[in-house]
Amino acid sequence: MTRQIPIVLLAIAAVVFPLSVHKIFLETGIERQLGTAQKIFYFHVPMAWIMMLFGLVCGIAAGIQLRRQSRRAEAVAIAAGEMVVLAGLGVLITGPIWGHASWGKAWTWDARQVTTGLLWLVFVAYVLVRRYGAAGSDRLAAALAIFGAVDVPVIYYAVKIWKTTHPSNDVVGTLPPEMWAALWPALGALLATAIALVAVRARQEMIEMDVDDAWVRVDELREAAKGAAS
Amino acid sequence: MPSGATPWPLAFRATTGSMRLPRQAWLLAKNDLRQELRDLELVATAGFFTLVVLVMFGLSFAALGRSAQPLAIPGMLWLAVAFVGALTLTRIFDRERESDTLRALLSAPVERLSIYLAKGAVTLLVLLGCCLVLVPGLVLLFPAGAVFAERPLTTAVLVVLGCVAYVAVGTLFAAGLAQSGGKNVLLSVILYPLTSPALMWALVSTRALLEGHPDLNTYLIQLAALDVLLVALGGVLFEAVLVGSTGRKPARERGRRRR
Repeated sequence: MTRQIPIVLLAIAAVVFPLSVHKIFLETGIERQLGTAQKIFYFHVPMAWIMMLFGLVCGIAAGIQLRRQSRRAEAVAIAAGEMVVLAGLGVLITGPIWGHASWGKAWTWDARQVTTGLLWLVFVAYVLVRRYGAAGSDRLAAALAIFGAVDVPVIYYAVKIWKTTHPSNDVVGTLPPEMWAALWPALGALLATAIALVAVRARQEMIEMDVDDAWVRVDELREAAKGAAS
Repeated sequence: MPSGATPWPLAFRATTGSMRLPRQAWLLAKNDLRQELRDLELVATAGFFTLVVLVMFGLSFAALGRSAQPLAIPGMLWLAVAFVGALTLTRIFDRERESDTLRALLSAPVERLSIYLAKGAVTLLVLLGCCLVLVPGLVLLFPAGAVFAERPLTTAVLVVLGCVAYVAVGTLFAAGLAQSGGKNVLLSVILYPLTSPALMWALVSTRALLEGHPDLNTYLIQLAALDVLLVALGGVLFEAVLVGSTGRKPARERGRRRR
């Protein structure tokens, strides 16, 4: 039953996403100051939230992995870490496009941009360590994810001291209801896709661990048989 | 902790109670320091590297205008610290790995936290030694750096706080990499993104010092708070990363295929 969940989520997303695109471009008004460029907001903000969410999920799962040696948590941490890299890439591509249209400059080194960029780098490092680290580096990667999660507010505050031009949180709060109505379906579709992908990836990672174990067992049996024969 | 079977030096066992941890850390650090005093390997290589970096900074930025210098000097200072730190951290754990003594250290009847503190303290000392070359060098090379000489105490506090933050993160990950049969390339991959918040605070504070900003003390206090946070986090995670909790999984690590 649980194996069907990602498929169901992807099916829902496949239906909702075209609808939300229709809503965003055809039914929602064009924002007065920013013009059509503001449409990117409906994809930029959900991806940023997904990135934060899975960054948090990865940090927590890594903590559980370290504490309980849980295989399931390890698989979730890996999948969530990769999702952060993917969503982060989306945020870092859509952000500067929007920035170029609204501030006239794609990258202004403001607090939220730098925080997002560095968070992304931390999780790229996480994926690199997971992939290229020697045996035993899984715990090291877990510590990396935890540090990454802790670093976020620190970086944010540090850069904020210099200067900030990014729209503050209030922008989302004071949105006209019409724009909220367009934001929710886009968020729902993207979030459903993200959760489904993470679930599939985590399951794949669990299977891989089982296959590894099976190989080790085969080797052991083979050696035992050799020992018995000689 | 196992005892009795292996005759460990009395020094490790004789102490009990609250003095145990600092004493063990001190003994371990003393061991590293003694080794260092015999061949001066870390200080010599790191010091020379600092000098080379300093000369390169001088060559590249000598023509920088007076007004741009307060913006550039903090970057030079902390980038140099980041490079020298990575070099020192690699070396200090390579030493343990070459003779496979890290494993011995981890199975010794000492608190794991004291290993973290000892290694961190030695790295910190080497880094501060390099800063003794670096900071006066920057003062000599750049007129705007004269503030460092005018306010030596604040400068010292700033440098120590910044280096502690860097070392707190670096020791944990360098130890983890050395333990996992290390590929040292990965140290830089991990270290630079992770230490960036600490270095950024140090950067902000250094610029405030050079510009005579009134909020400097607040920044220094915040940097100290960050130090406490990072050292605590590093201390908590150290054992979990190096040893892992009890139980499961040597089999999988052995069987993990290369990707």
